[in-house]
Amino acid sequence: MDFLIQTVWEGLVAGVLYALIALGFVLIFKASGVFNFAQGIMVVFSALTLVGTYEKLSQLGFKGFPAAMLSLVVALAVMFVLAVLVERVVLRPLVNQPDIILFMATFGLTYLLIGVGETIFGGNPKIMITKELGLPTGSTELVLPGLGPDGRNGLVLLQHIDIAAAIIASIMIAGLATFFQYTRIGRALRAVADSHKAALSVGISLNQIWVVVWFTAGIVALVTGIMWGARSDVSFGLSTVALKALPVLILGGFTSIPGAIVGGLIIGIGEKLGELYLAPMLLGSTMGRGVESWFAFFIALAFVMFRPQGLFGDKIIERI
Amino acid sequence: MFYREAGQFKTTYRDDMAVFPILQDRIGLLVIISLAIFAIPLLGSKFFISSVMIPFLVFTLAAMGLNILTGYTGLISLGTGAFMGVGAFACYKLTTYFPNVNIIVWILASGLFSAAVGVMFGIPSLRVKGFYLAVATLAAQFFLQWCFVRIPWLFNYNVSGAIEVPERTLLGLAITGPRATPEVRYLVLLGIVALMTWVASNILHGRIGRKWMAVRDMDIAAELMGIKMLPTKLLSFAVSSYYCGVAGACMMFLWYGGGEANDVFDINASFNVLFMVIIGGLGSLIGSFFGAAFISSLPTTLKFGLPAMGIPITGATAEHMTFIVTGSLIIFFLIVEPHGLARLWQIAKEKLRLWPFPY
Amino acid sequence: MKADVGQMGAAGPAAGAVMLEVKDVSLSFGGVKAIRGVSFDIKRGEIRAIIGPNGAGKTSMLNVINGFYHPQAGTITYKGAQREKMRPYIAASQGIARTFQNVALFKGMSTLDNIMTGRTLKMHKGLGWQMLRYGPAMAEEVRHREVVEKIIDFLEIEAIRKTPVGKLPYGLQKRVELGRALAMEPELLLLDEPMAGMNLEEKQDMSRFIIDINRQMGTTMALIEHDMGVVMDLSDRVVVLDYGQKIADGTPAVVQADQKVIDAYLGVAH
Repeated sequence: MDFLIQTVWEGLVAGVLYALIALGFVLIFKASGVFNFAQGIMVVFSALTLVGTYEKLSQLGFKGFPAAMLSLVVALAVMFVLAVLVERVVLRPLVNQPDIILFMATFGLTYLLIGVGETIFGGNPKIMITKELGLPTGSTELVLPGLGPDGRNGLVLLQHIDIAAAIIASIMIAGLATFFQYTRIGRALRAVADSHKAALSVGISLNQIWVVVWFTAGIVALVTGIMWGARSDVSFGLSTVALKALPVLILGGFTSIPGAIVGGLIIGIGEKLGELYLAPMLLGSTMGRGVESWFAFFIALAFVMFRPQGLFGDKIIERI
Repeated sequence: MFYREAGQFKTTYRDDMAVFPILQDRIGLLVIISLAIFAIPLLGSKFFISSVMIPFLVFTLAAMGLNILTGYTGLISLGTGAFMGVGAFACYKLTTYFPNVNIIVWILASGLFSAAVGVMFGIPSLRVKGFYLAVATLAAQFFLQWCFVRIPWLFNYNVSGAIEVPERTLLGLAITGPRATPEVRYLVLLGIVALMTWVASNILHGRIGRKWMAVRDMDIAAELMGIKMLPTKLLSFAVSSYYCGVAGACMMFLWYGGGEANDVFDINASFNVLFMVIIGGLGSLIGSFFGAAFISSLPTTLKFGLPAMGIPITGATAEHMTFIVTGSLIIFFLIVEPHGLARLWQIAKEKLRLWPFPY
Repeated sequence: MKADVGQMGAAGPAAGAVMLEVKDVSLSFGGVKAIRGVSFDIKRGEIRAIIGPNGAGKTSMLNVINGFYHPQAGTITYKGAQREKMRPYIAASQGIARTFQNVALFKGMSTLDNIMTGRTLKMHKGLGWQMLRYGPAMAEEVRHREVVEKIIDFLEIEAIRKTPVGKLPYGLQKRVELGRALAMEPELLLLDEPMAGMNLEEKQDMSRFIIDINRQMGTTMALIEHDMGVVMDLSDRVVVLDYGQKIADGTPAVVQADQKVIDAYLGVAH
């Protein structure tokens, strides 16, 4: 029983991270209709910038919390520059092109970011500067009386950084929701999400909105990168994992922020349970390993067959 | 001046419906085919044939396959790599069980297995389209990739965990395995590509091709005209996956040869083929050739071309550069000509027709 | 001219048996009631106009007739058989063809290919022959090309045969769409605002085509149109919808004089 709880907890934590990547997706998709394939890479890229800057600073003898904060500022600045560049170089010339063309452009962006990232920071995995950023490390063992095997006390291991991740993610989502709901730019964003043309006609600057949205997605990416990097390490291997955000989107719908969160948690827990129960059933517990790599997509697939519009989407009425 | 269709009158509908109605096009095609058959094996170096021409032809097949699905039927797939893998493994199993049947037969038959798998994963296309479908096809990609690694029966329990290509001959000449020369492998591949291009062109110019394009352009109107969605889309998945499967089998047996790893059929392969289709031109067969030529030759060009031009470059940097250049070129091409190289080709032909006059 | 055509229409071939009967049909999307208990019939060989202000449920009515929407209540009887819940392709195979309010052509294809697509249901050669594009497949292709060329001649669009339809002006697109529907050799042709956005000359051409199709081929038609002049001239009988309900039904002259129709169009003081 404690093993199951541990698995669910692990799934929950992974789910929070999927949800964060999906959130970045949703932000951009809502505001610009672009299916931003590069979101996963933006996560790695921003985290690499953070760690890489800190490394450079520590070589100069500048270490500890202040240096980490400076690195954070640098990483944020880089994400802002990236947002501006994306808007100028990619989105602006491609406005009014079909969706698939913009989608492909973000593919190009993905490759570009991988190349640039590896050229500047090297291809080796890096260690996230968790402690220097003032984030908690270490873990707590939670004793669950009577839930272990044979009625003994069960143990569940909680990493402090995971708890911090869940809290920070909640704060960030609440912040974003407030920003969307109550600020001028937030209102403009929602207007753009509904209709580009109508938004333009009332004097909203699309270009400005796009920069804001991509920058916001960049911030979300940086936070995701820090959390994820603290759990494993920072490398481009993460970008394949980031594809897991796609089934999350199918579950939650491409435009729904609550959908991204709920979907992320379902996928996170679902795939961990799949690994636990399905893998031994399919090919035995050793050969069956890695069910995680596709199970999330099957959940999404099964879901699509019965509710194509996603958890929170409206029923689609086709018109002609 | 020389590229005119004036004076070429069509007196029957059959003539008017030919794939190449213009005489000059037919001459050009003949020239290209004879160059490919005679000049390249005779004049090209072994290196050029095995690391430029063979990859180009293999990817052309895959790009054609994906173009049938994405360019002609409007369904995005990110599972191309896995469908190619199914072809490769099917071919391996077939030639293991029936070593006496000619390998070319098995290469062509292995596509049928991909087609079956493709149809299975194509079923969600009835409910969803666009990006939702793309994500659904990722399920195929990751699931099949997992199977390739986890089911040892597929690679005959080899210790390497990979396909080990045996030697197979045609009329006493080795066409697969370590002893097969690049020239022979190239010519076999050329034959397969030529045959399958011809078949694809035939299908696309007929009733079935029109049905696919109707579904792509306006699915609701197509259904109101009596086109059934599910069979049409699944047929597209089947034919598309067939082409990808044959491409995969060719890739393993005629390009990589023995002892290579299986991770060539990963998600990056899917992406690469998608790039080829987009850069070449969605919904254009000739675009598949252009796109495949462009993307498949890019790494080689950078790796060997830049040092030749006097720019020193190490292996790792070359790899990073490939990423940067590929990424930038994709964005550049999309901005300059979103309809791909095929559109540029069409425009060039249009201009040539009028030349030396501008209009 | 106007009166002339009108009289001919009234005395035209509209004397056949009932071909399609719509009875008490209701359709709603969520809370929105698009059609509320509408009944009418279409007789073989007639031109039946469906008119009404914007949002009256006209297009929804056509969508119900060709199986794209499924009504929550009511029955539809077509050629004597009451129809079950069906998919649009079945309607197509039963001989119902359709044009659309906002042109729904296959934009990436040429005029010729668009109209050839209309022959899909009549072409049967399988994948094997298609792969070779030779023998029976080619013969079939040529045979249907001949039919399509006749339609192209009829609609006077020879010059744009090989132009991608996306490049054509609106009026011509509408004409190609009519051609595509004709290629299905329909028994019942549904025309959704065939003359919307056209100038006078184009309207005259289109009216001529519609009358010719009705007379020469004996095709039954249901026509949605906002231009009252056109409706009164072309149609044999008119049904008027307003807010999803039928408010009048009869010959153009009767409908024109109906007080409810006048109120619906001009508004009424409450």
